[in-house]
Amino acid sequence: MMNYRSYFWVWVGLIILTGTTVSVAGMPLGHWPIVIALAIAGTKSGLVLNYFMHLRSERMFIFKIIIPLVMAVFLVFIILTFADVAFRGGVR
Amino acid sequence: MILRSLEEMDETKELVFEEVRDDTGAKLGMWLFILSELILFGGMFILYSVYRYKNPIDFHHASRELDVILGTLNTLILLTSSLTMALSISAIQKGSRKLSAGLLVATIFFGLLFLLNKGIEWSTKVDHGIYPNSPILLERPKGEILFFGLYYVMTGLHGLHVLVGIVVLSVMLSFLLRDKIHQTHFVPLENSGLYWHLVDIIWIFLFPLFYLIT
Repeated sequence: MMNYRSYFWVWVGLIILTGTTVSVAGMPLGHWPIVIALAIAGTKSGLVLNYFMHLRSERMFIFKIIIPLVMAVFLVFIILTFADVAFRGGVR
Repeated sequence: MILRSLEEMDETKELVFEEVRDDTGAKLGMWLFILSELILFGGMFILYSVYRYKNPIDFHHASRELDVILGTLNTLILLTSSLTMALSISAIQKGSRKLSAGLLVATIFFGLLFLLNKGIEWSTKVDHGIYPNSPILLERPKGEILFFGLYYVMTGLHGLHVLVGIVVLSVMLSFLLRDKIHQTHFVPLENSGLYWHLVDIIWIFLFPLFYLIT
């Protein structure tokens, strides 16, 4: 159980990150905005998962492993998908 | 007389029902469900990534037709609803039933606000003739057709999840008000909160990928 203030500060962090991601998108930084946007989205999700969804204070290992497990599955999906799609039309 | 003595014998027996509770099991069940939901949306995100990889310019052009202000507003609405959700659970853990109910009402309100906003966005798009399989959309370049197809399906499925979440939270509110959820038994509220945070997380990724393509 967290006290009210901690939740409030997490929320402030989330709002700031949202503002950052919107501002960065408007800047002419080439290919970086998408990388930054995804990194910020990952950070925001991390905050929601750990604090709002209490993963940080979970004792049992099974709860802490589920999200990394899903991430690992996606990593495999993405790698295999792009290993296929990126080389359609032949390897130069 | 025999009947009466039998009745007397029955009165000395008591059936005791023990409440069967498995809070950890309930929570694990919800997390496993969340895992399946992540794979559901994850698959669509992978589809999006391939089509965007193949049609970067079309995706950029199509994305500019979405309203960033409404999208940002929706993001802020859902983030705040997650705050009120977390606070609501804290409140009932501390035994503040009225505060918990009030915060739960606020969460539901934000959910409805989100759907209203989404409805406005969709209806303006439809008014401009942009919807799946519309003649106007089919005239556009292939990448833009793909973008809007993904947009409608993914935000639509997400919106459906928000709606289901609102219904679930309303049921939880009725439980809270009838004292079926209270300081020593609040796992249903906690699990509903987990679902609601998941809906928030999905939008956290949908927002930059559809609205902020440079």
